Amino acid sequence: MADNNNQISLSIFKKRWLKFKTMKRGYYSFVILLWMYGLSFLLPLFINNRALIVNFEDTYYFPAVADLIPGVNAYYAGEEFNQDVPGEAKYRLLKEDWETSDSENWLIMPFYPFSPYEDITTKGNKMYDPPSSTHWLGTDDTGRDVFARLCYAFNISISFALVLTVLNYVIGVSIGGAMGYFGGIFDLFFQRILEIWSSLPMLFVVIIMSSILKPSFLLLIFIYTLVNWIMLTYLMRAEFYREKTKDYVSAALSMGQTNSKIIFKHILPNSLVPVITYFPFSVVGGIMALVGLDYLGFGLPPPTPSWGQMLGVGLQNITKWWMVFSPVTAEFLTLLSIVFIGEAVREAFDPKVYSRLR
Amino acid sequence: MSQHNTLVDVKNLHVHFPVFGGVFSKKVASVKAVDGVSFSIGKNETVGMVGESGCGKTTVGRAMINILYHVAPDVEISGNINYRFENSIVDFASLHPKKMQQYRSKVQMIFQDPYASLNPRMTVAQIISEPLQIHKNMSSKDMEDRVAWLLDKVGLRLEQAKRFPHEFSGGQRQRIGIARTLATNPELIICDEPVSALDVSIQAQVINLMMDLQDEFNLSYLFIAHDLSVVEHISDKIIVMYLGNIVEMGDSSEVYHHPRHPYSRSLLSAVPLPDPTRKNKTRVVLQGDIPTPMNKPSGCAFRTRCPIAKPECAGDIPSLVDTGSEHWVACPVVREAN
Ligand SMILES: Nc1ncnc2c1ncn2[C@@H]1O[C@H](COP(=O)(O)OP(=O)(O)OP(=O)(O)O)[C@@H](O)[C@H]1O
Ligand code: SF4
Ligand SMILES: [Mg+2]
Repeated sequence: MADNNNQISLSIFKKRWLKFKTMKRGYYSFVILLWMYGLSFLLPLFINNRALIVNFEDTYYFPAVADLIPGVNAYYAGEEFNQDVPGEAKYRLLKEDWETSDSENWLIMPFYPFSPYEDITTKGNKMYDPPSSTHWLGTDDTGRDVFARLCYAFNISISFALVLTVLNYVIGVSIGGAMGYFGGIFDLFFQRILEIWSSLPMLFVVIIMSSILKPSFLLLIFIYTLVNWIMLTYLMRAEFYREKTKDYVSAALSMGQTNSKIIFKHILPNSLVPVITYFPFSVVGGIMALVGLDYLGFGLPPPTPSWGQMLGVGLQNITKWWMVFSPVTAEFLTLLSIVFIGEAVREAFDPKVYSRLR
Repeated sequence: MSQHNTLVDVKNLHVHFPVFGGVFSKKVASVKAVDGVSFSIGKNETVGMVGESGCGKTTVGRAMINILYHVAPDVEISGNINYRFENSIVDFASLHPKKMQQYRSKVQMIFQDPYASLNPRMTVAQIISEPLQIHKNMSSKDMEDRVAWLLDKVGLRLEQAKRFPHEFSGGQRQRIGIARTLATNPELIICDEPVSALDVSIQAQVINLMMDLQDEFNLSYLFIAHDLSVVEHISDKIIVMYLGNIVEMGDSSEVYHHPRHPYSRSLLSAVPLPDPTRKNKTRVVLQGDIPTPMNKPSGCAFRTRCPIAKPECAGDIPSLVDTGSEHWVACPVVREAN
């Protein structure tokens, strides 16, 4: 055997990461999606009907930036800028006025100066406007800009799916892990609960709950967690059950290691493979769940931008092709790239490749 | 072996795994994995334990480090496993796992499968320093030195400390396992078929290493194996087990060269190496399969396969009797024939 002193030792995780990187399709999907999701938190700076910078009588205002920071007031009434409109300032109008009247005041609008919420009540907005250079993907049945809504809905969909998945994971790993590790009465008790739970007709429960309670982002997450925690709990239970009988756990036990160290240092890192592999598909499930609920009208309350709601309205106005085409394409591309990621993750974590590790 | 030098005294150990069934998960049967086993291991002594697969060797070993409850919470253990540490006597069979902590470092185990006994996500240094972190209050510098010293003792190189288990061969992994058990200065190491998974050439290296370490650290071994020639080489005393019972026990060369119990004889005649001292003995080939420990035959458990079985063998369970010079045999038929 050649002496390989200089060879760097890689942990299994690093090896898998390197393997993942070689899977171009999945890796690039991952990078692009990650960037897009990160940038989508800055959407108010790019797609907004509030101005980025307003210089009015030598004072600076940053309404779009204020949009980003929760708790900071981004609302300026029209009167503050001497604009004769009811309610909030209309920055696009203001800009035109100031430019035509050669005013000292100036303002800079975001790159795409429409918000997902403004509708026909805003001057200049029209219903069913086909795609044009102003409204890239047209407007919908209430005159809202489809492109703006599409982008904001991207952030909401992914956030929903990620929060849902992470929450499910936390619950699944802790309850399932404890069931597998401690076994006995605790395990039996939760098994019965899981069985009863999984026999409930969950779609109806979700629909009933969201029609009684006023749906919101967090409530929907909560409701869907009630449905989804079972799958992961079962998965983790089985993993812990299998892993705890392995000799390295016996060795840790026989040297007097504490239960919590055994769980977190030994068993957990070794039982994450199926869970990590499952993660992208769980995100796909989360996105589809939200689209489904929104489509049926039991999802996020209007006027929250959401693909499901857009699809629903689009299908009612099927002749306005842009209203159907846009959400379908956005959803399709997003789901496709997540599936690519999932595929690459699964490949990278395939135990066959490193079968000696198992 | 005088009483004074005894390290551990196992008395009438029973380990039964209950089997649950039916609607209300009632206990319907039990697997009698260990069914009344008594032996002792002296200080600095090696006791070899042999027997077919499933006869309860691993279970005895795991009972002796009191970890059976972990995988089988319902396990029923009775009897005594009395350890004599310094001047206190501790019974591991009845000690609550929570009270075990202070004694854990004194008895360690080397596991059968070198691929499963090392956490694949920890480096060698982390694996070996884990027991040190638990039992020794050491600075990280001292810990590093100690790990380096242990690696040297088991014949591994220091730069291998940062590697992960999957980068090692089976023999090297077993050395890592040995270093881990040595870390806490144990008095007894239970070696559960430590070389069965290794190539023959590597087996000898690992066994020699273990014998050297025994001299250096005054260790006692319970050496579990199914290859009698390996056991004879390393042990002072041999225990032959069949279906949860000891059928023969005695001085190593005595049992190896003059086995008396029909089961030991068949085991020995199965040893493939040509041995001039046993040339003329006839080969005994066992008929049938080993019965399940859930449903053991009455009387002598071996009677379903014994070539010299008599009708009375179905009666009482034969007890282990000294036939002279500490050679114990559990077969009245053989004893009477003398
Ligand atoms: N946790 C358990 N639950 C139920 N039965 C068990 C359990 N552990 C062991 N047994 C049973 O106890 C008997 C003895 O098993 P043990 O592992 O001690 O055998 P062994 O002599 O070590 O065999 P091998 O040579 O194959 O390692 C077997 O019949 C086995 O099925
Ligand atoms: S007691 Fe009977 S069955 Fe058992 S080993 Fe002796 S002769 Fe055979
Ligand atoms: Mg075994």
